[in-house]
Parts: sequence; C-alpha cells; structure tokens
Amino acid sequence: MRTRLAILVCVASIAVSGRALAHHSFAAEFDETKPVKVTGTVTKLEWTNPHIWFFIDVKEPNGTMSNWGFEMGGPGQLLRAGWKRDTMKIGDVVTVEARRARDGTNHANAQTVVLVSTGQRLFAGSSQGQP
Amino acid sequence: MRILQLTAWRAGMLSVAFVCATAGTAAAQWLSVPVPGTPRTADGKPNLTAPTPHAADGKPDLSGIWHADTMRYNDNLLPRGTQAPMLPWAAELYKHRVDTRGYDRPMTRCMPHGVPDAMTVAGLPFKILQIPGETVVLFEEFHKYRQIHTDGRQLPVDPDPAWYGYSIGRWEGETFVVDTAGFKEGSWLDNSGHPHTEALHLTERFRRINYGRMDLEVDVNDPKAYSRPWKSDTLHFLLSPDTELLEHLCENNRDLDHLRDFSQQAAPSTTGKP
Repeated sequence: MRTRLAILVCVASIAVSGRALAHHSFAAEFDETKPVKVTGTVTKLEWTNPHIWFFIDVKEPNGTMSNWGFEMGGPGQLLRAGWKRDTMKIGDVVTVEARRARDGTNHANAQTVVLVSTGQRLFAGSSQGQP
Repeated sequence: MRILQLTAWRAGMLSVAFVCATAGTAAAQWLSVPVPGTPRTADGKPNLTAPTPHAADGKPDLSGIWHADTMRYNDNLLPRGTQAPMLPWAAELYKHRVDTRGYDRPMTRCMPHGVPDAMTVAGLPFKILQIPGETVVLFEEFHKYRQIHTDGRQLPVDPDPAWYGYSIGRWEGETFVVDTAGFKEGSWLDNSGHPHTEALHLTERFRRINYGRMDLEVDVNDPKAYSRPWKSDTLHFLLSPDTELLEHLCENNRDLDHLRDFSQQAAPSTTGKP
C-alpha cells in the first residue's frame, strides 16, 4: 500500500516531464490556454521515447466516438518515478486533464490522469506555477 | 515574466521528480544498483557530501551519473538578467527563435542538444567516464556521446565540422578545463536559441565540489556571432547515485507533425538561417 501510495504521489511530478525534457517546444505544440478534460477507455499505450503516448476512446456529447491521444514524459522519467509500463492498462477508463495541441487535433499534453473505477490519481500535475 | 514562472515551476517539479526517483525505485534492479566505491553513511545510503574522489593519477575524478539541478540553464545559458552580446544577424535569429517559441529546435527532429546544453537537460542525466587519456561523456538523451581527449594532443587545425566539435582537456589544479572547437552550425547553445557559427570556441571549467555536486562555467567565444566573449551562468550538477542510464532513442517522434503545423503559421526568419 505504501508503495502504491508512493507511486501515486511520485507520478504527480511526471506531468511536467513533457515540458522539462526539452525534446520539443511545449509552447509551440500545446496551448496553455486551452485546457481539455475528457473521459474514455484506454485503447493504446505507446511506451516509447522520446515521449509516451496513450490513446483513449471518448464518447462525444453528440453520441459519436472519437479517439484522443495524450503525451507524457519518456519511459525513463516514468520508470524513475515508480511507474511500470503496465501501470495504466488497455481497457482502463480514465479521466484526463490536458492542454490541447495548437493544431486543433485530438492530441494534448496530459496534466492529470484519474482512474475512474477507483478515483485514484494515476498521473497528476499541479497547476501551481503555470502561466 | 512568463518564462520566469515556467522556469520556477519546472525547477520545483523536477526537484520532486528526483526525490521520487531516489525513493521509489528500490525494487527496480537496473535503476537501483549499488555502485562500488560509493562513500556511504552509517545507514548505507550514499554520502553525497563526502569529499571529492580522486583518480589514481591524483586528479579529481569526475566520473559518475549527473543531472542539472534545474532546467533554467537549458532554457537560457546566461546568468539571470544578462544578455549575450549578439551581432545583429544573431540577434535577429535569436528573436525569431524566441518569437516562434523554439518550434524548430534541432531536438524536434531528434537531433541532440549540443555543447554544453546536452548536459543541461535536467530530466535526462549524463554519465562521465574519466579514464587515462580520455574523458567520455555519455548522454542519455538520444543515446549520444562526447569524447574529451586528455592525452596531450592539440585541437585539430582544419577540422571537419562536427556537432559536438573536438574537445581536449587538461587539469588546472582541481579544475578540469576543456577546450572545444570545430563545431558544425546547427546546434543551439540553449533552448532559447542562442546561435553559433563554425567559429565557436568553448572553454568549459568543471569542478567537482564534493562527491555529490559538480559545477561548470563556460566561456563562449564566437566572433562571427558575438561582439565579444561571454560567460555562462554557473551550472550546478547533482550526482545520481546507485543508478544507471536508460535507453532513450527517438523511436516515436509524434510531435513533429503538430509542430510542422505551427511552423506554417510562423513568420520565416529573414537571416536565411532556420
């Protein structure tokens, strides 16, 4: 339980890594002023460098389904924070808060991820200090 | 102001991340490997304030896995509140890079950071291997390396330009002084986008303060881009004890397409340089 808690606390720091790694410009790809919050089922997890991406199927207000993709840090950063590649599984239902891509596609930089079945905050980023 | 806020936020979050890294990986055998020779406290933990280790030749030993203590240097290599003495073309290019939010950084295309900023990516550590005649720097980011020759050779006279240039090192007391020249244009000196030309000559001064900390100051001399030599901020690095580098290959670069869209909205630079 303590390990689980430590992981949950530690992953709070990982939301930043998509910005901190400096692989690419956060500000040029994502828009701080365009937060998005969606709930859906995990369909794919790309545990890859330079960034992990995961995808979820989301039921839109009009009833249609759409697929969203979210960027996180790289595997090294998540591993060092206590994640494993199966911390988030295909089929998990998650609520994601993110900053949307500037190009208007269904892509975003994940800030918080909450596992709906338990309410656990799998992946959380503080809004503290954000411009 | 916005940059300062971002920087403070990054620094804070990175600090948390590294606390986590040292606390939560006991079960990860590759990430948590007791490194022989590490000085330890009575409870067996690495003693990061132990004295600077020395190599067999009596020189300080810089070997270890290091990470910058903040992303600030990666954002901007200069001391806070200072500006580089850029020539007009360089100032224009720099402004363009800032105005376009650095969308076309080399790393976007999976090219690595250069010298010295490959060492300043706080979330991706680097490993120094100090051996007789050579000091090797292994960068986790993109699985790259850099060689600093200490066998007495001189810098090449007419080098084929190289991304990391050509490096020779020597000891001045407790300070490891590295001269590097023969750079290829293309790398940025930091993520803000300070440019350089093939005329760039860098002098890095490394000093291991104790077992767990190392400082670096960099003299930047590029008469084709700057009106006079200038100095970096003092960069601080912290040792990551009892761990190992991880693979970081650019295998899934999904960002490029989104950034390409942004680039189509951005005004082109008039300097003719990207």
